[in-house]
Amino acid sequence: MPDVSLLMADGRGPKADGHMDRRFFIKLTAISGTTAALTACGNPENQIVRFIPEDDLVPGVATWKPSICPLCSAGCGVIARVLEGDAEVFRNGQAGVIRMGLAKKLEGNPDDPISQGKLCARGQAAIQITYHPDRLDKPKKRTGERGSGQFADITWDEAIKEVTAKLNELAAAKDQQSVAYLTKPRRSRRLELVADMLQKFGAKPPVAYEFFSDEVLRRANAASFGAHQLPTFDLENARYVISFGADFLGTWNSAVAHSAAYGRMRQGRPGPRPKFVHVDARLTQTAANADEFVACRPGTEGLLALAIAGDETAENITERTGVPVATIQRLAREFAAHGPAVAIIGGAPLAHSNGLFQAAAVNRLNQAAKTVNQPGGLAFAPQQTVVPTRPMKEILDAAPKVLLIDDVNPVFTSPPAWKVADALRRVPFIVSFAPFIDETSAMADLILPDHSFLESWVDAAPESGSIKAAASAFGPVMRPLYDTRSTADVLLEIARGLAAPLEGMPTSFEAYLNAERRGGTAAAATSASRNAPVADPAWVAPVFDGDASQYPFHFMPYASTAFYDGSLAHLPWLQELPDPMTSAMWSSWVEINERKAEELGIHQGDVVEITSTQGSVRAPAFLNPGIAPDAVAMPVGQGHTNFTRYATNRGVNPISILAPITVGDTGELAWSATRVRIARVGGPDDSLVLFGGATRERPEWAHGRGDDH
Amino acid sequence: MLLAGLLLAATAACELTSPGQPKWNDPSVGKSRWGTDPVFTPARASFGQAFREFLGRRPTEVDQPFPFSHQIHLSKGAQCIDCHSGVESGPRAGLPSINTCMICHSQIATDRPLIMQITEMQAKGVDLNWNRVYSYFPESHVRFEHAPHIRAKVECSTCHGNQAEQTVARRAVDMDMAFCVNCHKQKQASNDCLTCHY
Repeated sequence: MPDVSLLMADGRGPKADGHMDRRFFIKLTAISGTTAALTACGNPENQIVRFIPEDDLVPGVATWKPSICPLCSAGCGVIARVLEGDAEVFRNGQAGVIRMGLAKKLEGNPDDPISQGKLCARGQAAIQITYHPDRLDKPKKRTGERGSGQFADITWDEAIKEVTAKLNELAAAKDQQSVAYLTKPRRSRRLELVADMLQKFGAKPPVAYEFFSDEVLRRANAASFGAHQLPTFDLENARYVISFGADFLGTWNSAVAHSAAYGRMRQGRPGPRPKFVHVDARLTQTAANADEFVACRPGTEGLLALAIAGDETAENITERTGVPVATIQRLAREFAAHGPAVAIIGGAPLAHSNGLFQAAAVNRLNQAAKTVNQPGGLAFAPQQTVVPTRPMKEILDAAPKVLLIDDVNPVFTSPPAWKVADALRRVPFIVSFAPFIDETSAMADLILPDHSFLESWVDAAPESGSIKAAASAFGPVMRPLYDTRSTADVLLEIARGLAAPLEGMPTSFEAYLNAERRGGTAAAATSASRNAPVADPAWVAPVFDGDASQYPFHFMPYASTAFYDGSLAHLPWLQELPDPMTSAMWSSWVEINERKAEELGIHQGDVVEITSTQGSVRAPAFLNPGIAPDAVAMPVGQGHTNFTRYATNRGVNPISILAPITVGDTGELAWSATRVRIARVGGPDDSLVLFGGATRERPEWAHGRGDDH
Repeated sequence: MLLAGLLLAATAACELTSPGQPKWNDPSVGKSRWGTDPVFTPARASFGQAFREFLGRRPTEVDQPFPFSHQIHLSKGAQCIDCHSGVESGPRAGLPSINTCMICHSQIATDRPLIMQITEMQAKGVDLNWNRVYSYFPESHVRFEHAPHIRAKVECSTCHGNQAEQTVARRAVDMDMAFCVNCHKQKQASNDCLTCHY
């Protein structure tokens, strides 16, 4: 640092005592600031390549364009505010800036029967997918070991040629059955197109996997009502609603549609306010809205439903369910007296080994209420052709030779005993269409990144949420930012390039969506009136993994309000979203009953270890008065090992200690059937971040400083 | 201590690169020595920019990628709105893309070196990266809208000077708040704070 007196041309400098006065300080600020300005700032904007805009835009004037939220199976219609702006893009293999129409905000589409102009917090954050800094901007080819995450750039032509060659090889060897397509169970014409292509190629139907799958309920509904489908509830006209574990206002099924209808039920009509009772072992977001919360032993909710329906006596089940006789009798009286009444089941009660019984028992209760297909009850929306899918087990058992993975991350969302990663390692050729590198796409040989939903044609035919059939298809809201391609169009291009091109394929996904439907709408599956009672569901005791003496707690993973099954942990807005019940964010936590924690000497934020027969995880404890003393709960979604800068190595993954118990013979994972033990391993490690609480996440540099406690 | 801090800030500013440069997937670009992103604050790219804005200083002449002459075009009968086409319909008048130039210049004066230069740029898909001459600092919270002013028959030259005398546009009028308020008074337009600041 030069002598200060040299800086001042008029000879004045710091005072003789070494202190400077205010005037001198300001002058010095000006000098050093100007110097910095001169040295630091040339005009680098001139070096940027600016591309010619593709659209004619009126600057500063917004348009709202419709699209569909892709984040869950609800298929909410959204509108995106599109305004011109400068975007960093790839055009013709070159990076640069372009002025283009950019989606800036998502809202619910008021004309959509599902979302009704509303949108949940996850849907609001969906805008961040398009602009995510870690989004893949061009196709990638694996260079390192499987799962190492080392990829090199490749052109689309090379990538498509490679996939086509592999498929041609299989076709030449008459081994088309060795192609498998793994995706999420979404009802859409896109999946229909995929299934059509697979069938024409000679492969088996697509494999569908989702952690919080509703397949058990669909199966039960097929048996009870003849509809292999999720029901739609007419909450608006119901006078009595009883929910068995279904977080229908938060994460389960069509939460936006439910919330809107629930609001109208509670506040939107004259007369006495309808009653809502929630049965669960943990106070969820939905339970917190209820007039009455009934705590029930995990796996016995179906018994309570049967008792309310009058098929069981209260005395007979009180011991198994843990619900007092008087409560059961009162609920039964209320349910019968306050029609129309409807019962909802979803989430944890179905994720026990006896899930089919539980669902059948609640269906029985709805039949007893005589509200199936009636106002204030449940109904099944007419469905378009339903695409048959296969369960995940088929990929694990019969290792395919070519595996195409579309928008699903089973390495993260399956229990370790399924050994999905090992199964993937045995597959010789894996193509992923993921727009991000995650635990599953890191195992792929080729990644052909999909457009974001705002950049491509999208469609949805949701199976519930609206009593009338709903199906929607929309064009892109904005032009693609990067060198990505719509997966449906990539598949069509591959199909055209085969040695024996598939017949009857549309030229593009856009053409497919715009072509007139062949066939027409399938009739409503509920033609048979099923208000007549079917055979009483027979009680099956739930089976739990782990001995109760060694593992005294029920382990209840639950769908995170922010991340759902973890597929949204890469969106920083959702990381920042406080959990509605605990206010925790950016972290994992274990919910444990307050009094039980006191018994065990566990305090808020203490690090505890949760151990099952499958392994253990460590996370801070959150003391919750609203959870059963013999249960601990953890949100699913954190604990990614490789999923963008925001989710990687943050928190722990409760799925990693789940036992591979299945729901009856369905092959679905009973994710609520694991027992655990809990042990305090240390004091608070600052990883429990509560909104507005005393705890705050501290950056690394703050650790070890003396003044931060 | 304070002096050391100031000089540290100055050195830091030298290390920060400007935003807007493509930087994805390139770990070599755009991190300061503390691993922070190339922003001084969320609103400002560098210390220098913040400092200039703090002093309210801005150049009257702005470097442009191309020596466009307003004078020639206006003398040939072109109107402002022909190129600044958003002026009647939206808040911003807009700066024309190279496609706008080529509407006429695919036919007119194609033999001139500068026109040949932009023809070549268009063929490559590269646009002219104009720099703005007039704008408000974010702190002023001014939301200026062109369209209502055009509807009120305010001449372009009232705020932008006589462009027929200019080649490359430079800031001929200093648009401070007194300038706006005086005109609003004369024209009996609202001088409510929320008319412009929101």
